[in-house]
Amino acid sequence: MNIEQIVFYFFAASVLLSAFMVVFIKNMVRSIFLFFVTLFSMAGLFVFALADFIAVTQLIVYVGGMLVLMIFAFLLSSKTILNKSEVKESNLLGLHHIPGLFIALLFFLILFITIYQANPDQLSWVNNSENVIQVNDNTIHFIGVNLMTRYLIPFEIISVLLMMALIGASHLARREKKI
Amino acid sequence: MNFYIISILLALLLFSFVAAFALFAVYAERKIAGFIQDRLGPTENGKYGSLQTLADILKLLQKEFIIPSAADKILFSLAPIIIFISVYMGFAGLPWSAGVIPISLNIGVVYIFAIISIESIGILMAGWGSNNKYSLLGALRSVAQVISYEIPSGIAIVSAVMIAQTLDMNAIALRQGIGTPETIWFLGFWDVSHVGGIFSWHIFQAPHLIIAYAIYFIASLAECNRAPFDIPEAESELVAGFHTEYTGLRFGFIFLGEYSMMFLVGMVGVVLFLGGWNTPLPNIGALKLADWTSGIAWGIFWTFSKVLVIVGVQMWIRWTLPRVRIDHLMDLCWKVLTPLAFLCMLCSGVWRLLIM
Repeated sequence: MNIEQIVFYFFAASVLLSAFMVVFIKNMVRSIFLFFVTLFSMAGLFVFALADFIAVTQLIVYVGGMLVLMIFAFLLSSKTILNKSEVKESNLLGLHHIPGLFIALLFFLILFITIYQANPDQLSWVNNSENVIQVNDNTIHFIGVNLMTRYLIPFEIISVLLMMALIGASHLARREKKI
Repeated sequence: MNFYIISILLALLLFSFVAAFALFAVYAERKIAGFIQDRLGPTENGKYGSLQTLADILKLLQKEFIIPSAADKILFSLAPIIIFISVYMGFAGLPWSAGVIPISLNIGVVYIFAIISIESIGILMAGWGSNNKYSLLGALRSVAQVISYEIPSGIAIVSAVMIAQTLDMNAIALRQGIGTPETIWFLGFWDVSHVGGIFSWHIFQAPHLIIAYAIYFIASLAECNRAPFDIPEAESELVAGFHTEYTGLRFGFIFLGEYSMMFLVGMVGVVLFLGGWNTPLPNIGALKLADWTSGIAWGIFWTFSKVLVIVGVQMWIRWTLPRVRIDHLMDLCWKVLTPLAFLCMLCSGVWRLLIM
């Protein structure tokens, strides 16, 4: 086993382990900080998939933005709310868990069947493709060219959507005029 | 195997550099503060008090780790490490001289920007873990400020990147001096590809980048939580902010993080706007000053001296200006710096298309 594989399995294990702990740990604040470990290790896995730009974007958007916002929401909420959720008795086979379990199982089944039928190892366009990214390629260059040519319309639509969100947010935050 | 040994050695070298710099910077800060406030600063230890910070570090190393009984022990003890490591990892992408860069990344600028933003997680961990209302308030203030000021500083960086047309730190620095791969113009009219020197720096290639650099510099002060933006640790209101409860080496790590952050943001600004490792002396006719003062060792010298000047200015500002109130701080960020930064970005686009 070479060192790349060791690092890969290390990242994969820490993603899985921390994700499980995020779900099962009782202390809410700790679990949200553990979520940071999950996201950071995910960024590491993206690097292994030669998607370094996505790894860095993941850090900026999810760790620097979303996660901090989530922590803010936790820290500003009242402590009694946090304590109440910890009191609840957890019984995996309780009656109140059945709808959740049912949905989770169905979703897993759907995912499993889709991936099984798609058979990603044997897809012809993957096996016969000629545009394979090399380790030393300047991926950001490809991303830029593709965004400005092939994916221009989705890109512009997203920018309009973001603009709408920005205007809406500033409108909501505005002080109302006294009538 | 050599590759890994070199990487580990580089990491150790960077760490020892950061630690040595912090020692030097604390001493310099106290001396500058003394000069500005018309007193002497440290004088007792060594010649001119130069061993003062070494003595301080020795004292910090011997202190006991105190964990408050109500604190969240894991978060409390992990926070200083995360704060320091996030800054320390940023140093991996910074070029010191032509080709002298720990890792040459295609996306170096974005990488540094991303890795710095992890610091705010560490600050929140410290604030929550301490279980102290002053710490929590300090952490909330700090993170609100860092996140807000990331926007103008990010846009200012983008306006420089648009002129340079690359995200590789090494290539950005390369096109601000005599070794440039493409023709560069001083203010858009004078070809300075072979003149080099101060005329070929980014802020003089496109004059609106001077404004962008000013925006970046102000925002970087806020990101380091330094005065006049030090409300997170405003001692008159919050004791010491998010690091109130820390003692000994843990406090040392937070301190180290702050001082290495000063160097890091200064160096990013130098590479993006002030010519990176390139010499400020131009070629004048037969006097080939730029050619004579270029090279690997000269590059390291110029980078280092430029960053030290910037760090000196940061300290000068800290001891000159009073602390800004929180609503003024947010007003400055959202109503002045952010629109100006967007204007700079627009100017960059027009400049790149029409003039360069």
